Formats: sequence, structure tokens, C-alpha cells
Amino acid sequence: MSVAEAEARELEIEHVGGGLWRDAWERLRHNKGAIAGAVLLGLFVILAVFAPLIAPYGPNERVAGLAATPPGPTAEHWFGVDEQGRDLLSRVVYGSRLSLLVGVVSVAVGLSFGMLLGATAGYLGGKVDTLIMRIIDIVLSIPGLLFAIALVTLLGRGLVQVMLAVGITTIPVFARLLRGSILAVRESDYVLAARSVGTPGRGLLLRHILPNSVAPVIVAATLAMATAIIDVAGLSFLGLGPAEAGLPEWGAILADNQDRLQASPHLVFFPGFAIVLSVLAINLIGDGLRESIDPKLRA
Amino acid sequence: MTSPGSAAATDRTALLSVRDLEVRFVTRRATIHAVNGISFDLDPGATLGIVGESGCGKSVSSLAMLGILPQPAGRVKAGQVLLDGRDLVGLSEHDLRQVRGGEIAMIFQDPMTSLNPVLTIGRQITEALRAHLDMDKRAAAEEAVALLDRVGIPDARRRLSDYPHQFSGGMRQRVMIAMAISCRPKVLIADEPTTALDVTIQAQILDLLRTLVDSEGMALILITHDLGVVAGVCERTHVMYAGRFVETGPTTELFARPKHPYTLGLLKSVPRLDERHHRRLEPIGGAPRDMRELPTGCAFAPRCTYATQASWEVLPLLEPTAGGDHRVACHNPVPDAELVAAGLGLGPDADGDAEDDDQWRP
Repeated sequence: MSVAEAEARELEIEHVGGGLWRDAWERLRHNKGAIAGAVLLGLFVILAVFAPLIAPYGPNERVAGLAATPPGPTAEHWFGVDEQGRDLLSRVVYGSRLSLLVGVVSVAVGLSFGMLLGATAGYLGGKVDTLIMRIIDIVLSIPGLLFAIALVTLLGRGLVQVMLAVGITTIPVFARLLRGSILAVRESDYVLAARSVGTPGRGLLLRHILPNSVAPVIVAATLAMATAIIDVAGLSFLGLGPAEAGLPEWGAILADNQDRLQASPHLVFFPGFAIVLSVLAINLIGDGLRESIDPKLRA
Repeated sequence: MTSPGSAAATDRTALLSVRDLEVRFVTRRATIHAVNGISFDLDPGATLGIVGESGCGKSVSSLAMLGILPQPAGRVKAGQVLLDGRDLVGLSEHDLRQVRGGEIAMIFQDPMTSLNPVLTIGRQITEALRAHLDMDKRAAAEEAVALLDRVGIPDARRRLSDYPHQFSGGMRQRVMIAMAISCRPKVLIADEPTTALDVTIQAQILDLLRTLVDSEGMALILITHDLGVVAGVCERTHVMYAGRFVETGPTTELFARPKHPYTLGLLKSVPRLDERHHRRLEPIGGAPRDMRELPTGCAFAPRCTYATQASWEVLPLLEPTAGGDHRVACHNPVPDAELVAAGLGLGPDADGDAEDDDQWRP
């Protein structure tokens, strides 16, 4: 793109009415990576929503006999079958439901508690801030997956517990990010100006400080969805995933078949590829978002 | 109370009366003596200019008056801020909120950063209206249109739903002014309102402020380091150095016969358009005072060519000069002969009327 074109585009973007979010949206629309990510993620969402229509068989339906080294892809079973004779394509398609659910729910858990803590610490400051942040520092010093393992051991191994555990590990990240962002915004001229016309504290926080602080948190939340999917797959792989029998969780499929890697590589390849693709899609969107709403990149 | 800095007799009830205001910033590493006992009175409709270099405590004084000093370091250590006889220092946050915007409003230096980028300007103007005047949404919006009209924003109704980034710097400052005057405050504090604007816009904004002060009867405190701005707008001028007023008086008199070496230094460092031959601008030597400790004598002594032993040892207080209402805090005021040499003093034919300070206008 030539300089003139870039300027023209910049102008065009600037002249769009509306606020920051509208601006961000305009930038995002022109970001090729983000579009590719969105299309890819859209495909996964369609797979998840319409799984019963798309998948040729049920996730636990037996379509072939038991086999120690199950056959690879055939015309009938595109992704091949597993050792229990289940259609792998169907399992992977149903698995996308779980992965998206895990991503959304764990991030929702982490985001809500993280933002609450971060906003409290950043806005109130002083001793409250010190207390909250020291606790968060301690939690952050524990590696995420290790912490999740500990939490799963504590909470139990259901799907909900696993999502909670992964969500809890993301709380400190969001809390710290929002706090830092609030600290910067709290000292801004427009907050001072708002105070000077007598805006009460609640209005300051909700209308002036928070809306200007959430941008980096939104980016982080998007990226955290990808991490959550990986973490849950990792927990499953370690045998600490959702314990519900026959749950077609991608990580669990990987774990179940790790010793068949040589004889039947398709059993590991397809669920692994699904994990990679979904995480890539979300990361592309997250990076695009970062570029479009990062205040430093804004004119 | 005998207050060295009071501009006039203390028994007169002024609209705003600041008494011996002291502001400190206390951090673990140091205590900054930002404002060290300033006093002044402001009558309804009066215009007061406070001038001084960066860091002399101009802005901090105004933040202190509104109770919005940066926390947790900033605190008012002593003094009173009497608005209609009520002391604002120590007032509860709830009561202060009524004062802010309602009775004393403020305009900030940088209009580019003083508006919230994610809210429409309509939203930001009506915020003050709804907080203080208890207006409903529609009435507040109507009032906001009227206000934008008053500060000279064309097509006000349509622009209400625009965001700050859709306005130019000058227009944003107009919006800030509209916000500040929205609840018809009695005192308007303008903290360097034109510093971030280019010269032509500066003149427009100053004109607007002048008009508003005249028509609304608001008192104006104009904080600036630009002597030209003060000359054009303010009846009285207080010169501030290291958190104290060093010279106060009617603007005309003060510009014509500066008594404090610092004031003279400021005047000599400003270029003038009316000079016949080019004069070298004379900067003031040295650097601003380190505000971490209070000097025993005159804070300006290290930079002053007139300083004597007394300047280093005894703190000079504001004393009346021959010019009546003109006061100076200096042991060795600048002699008149010096002023003539600097091209400043009025000749024998000059009578110090208002026209003389026109030369300083921007």
C-alpha cells in the first residue's frame, strides 16, 4: 500500500462518525489477519452449533469393530476411526462444542472476578490496592497449569470444575492489567476535568475511568480464550480433564491415543490440528483487536 | 488575622477569599513546598491574573481551592479558602462536589486531553448540568445546545452527539468552557486556557472569556505564564514565585512600574512588537527553586542581581509601594531609573491609563 493510499485510508477512517469503538471496528475490518481468524473461528462456531447436523455419527456411536491399531482415513470415515470403533470426525466436530464452551466460560469466570479485583485495587488504591496486588503477585508466581492442576485436585474433575479451575488461573492476569490501566487513566486530564465539575465517584469510575481502561483487558480476554482451550486440553492430556466418560474433548482424545502415535497417527493428528487451528483463529483475532484498539497505535 | 499577602482590607466580604493557603506534596522521599501561604480576595465580576513560571505553584493553588489535589501526596497544610464566607478547606467530599462546577469551575490547559474520548460532548456537558441543577435529560440537552451556541460552536444541536476527536483544539477548548460555565459558577478558574492553542485561536478564546465574564458577572482567575494574556484580560495581576506572591497590583500599574526584580525579569524576557529598535531579550539567569526546602530569605535571591545580605536572611513580605494598591515583597525593589533604562517605566507624561498596556496584548 502506498503512502498516499495509507493516508487516504486513514482519513476515511477518521471521518467515520462515532466513538473509539466504532474507530476500532473500522480498523479491525481492514486487518487481514483478524478477518482470517474471524472466518476460521466462525467455522468452528458453526461446527459447534450444528454438530448433530454436520457430524456423520454420534460422538460415542460405534461404527466399526474394536481394533488395537484402528485404520486411518477412508472415504467413509474421513478422519478414520478410534480403537473403540468411533468415527473420529464426529468426535472432533462434537469436541469443538466443548472447546468453545471451555474458552468462553473460563474467560468469563476469570474476567468477572479479575475485573472486580483490578477495578477495586486501581480505583481505591492505598492499602486495599497493596493487599490485593500482593495476593495476586503470589498467585502469579505459581505456573498457570500447575495452579490449575492443584485447583482441579481441590474442586474435582467435572467439566464445570475444570472450567472454573482454568478460569481462576486467569483472574490475576486480568486484575493486574485492569489495575495498571486504571492507574494511568485515573490521573488523566479528563478525569480531573470531570472531578472539577463535581462528577461523583461512581460516575467517575463507570463513565470516565472504566470505559477508557478496558481496551487492553478486552484484547487479553480474547487471547486468554485460546490459552484456556490449550490449558483444558493440557489438563485432559495429563489425565486431569473432565472426567465424564466418553466426553469428546480434544485434549482427552490426544491423551487416550498417545501410545498409538506410530501405528495410528491420525488419532493424534486430527484433534491436535483442531486445537492448533482454533487457538490460531482466536490469536489472530486477538492480535487484530490489539492493533485496532491499542491507544498507542491510535492517532 | 494579619495576612501579609492579602490584597485588600480583610474585613470586606469578598466573594472568594483565600487566606494564607499552604499546599504540600508529601512523599516518602521528599516534601515539596508547592504553595507557601498565598492570600487574595476576589470580588464578584473581578478578573485576577496569576503569573509565574512552571512549577511556581499556580495550578496547584487552584486545584487546592477545589479540593482536587493529586492524591495521596497533595494536601492543604494550612490556610482557608472562603467562598461567600464558607471555608472550603476541610469540607466533606459531598459538599465539595456541590461547589465544584456549581460555584467554582475550572478550565484546563490542554483541551486535547481534558475531554473524555469515549463520551460524546453532549454527554459530558449534560453531566455537570444534571449533577448540579437536577435537570432531566431533555432539558439538559437543550441547555447544552444553548451553551455550545454561547461559546461559538456552529451547528450546536448536531454536534452534541459528536465525540471529542471530531473537534479541533480551539473548538475543544470552547467545549471545555461551555462545560465550565454550564452551571453559572460564581468563580471561573482558567488554568493556562490558551497555552496549548495557536496564536489566532488564543485571541478568540480570550475574547470569549472576556465576553463571558462581562455578561455573566463571573469572577475570573486567569492562571498563565503569558504576560500578554494577563495584560489583555485581567484588572489585577499577582506574580507568583516559589509558592508565594512576590508582587501584586492593578495590571496597568504592575506592568508599567514593576517593583520586584522577578517581575522585571519576566517583562524583559518577552518580545514586544512596538519597539523601535530591536532589543535583546534578557532571560532570567539560574533555575527555578528547588521546592523541597523552604529558603530562610527571599526565594528569588539566588537568581537576583539586586540581592543583598538581607535577601538571603529575611523573608520579605508584601508591602505597599508608592503606588497604593501595588504591593511588593522585596527588600530591594527595582528603582524607577532602572525601569526607564529597561524601556519599561512610564515617562513623566504617562498617566498609567488602561491604554498603555495594550502593547502587551497578544
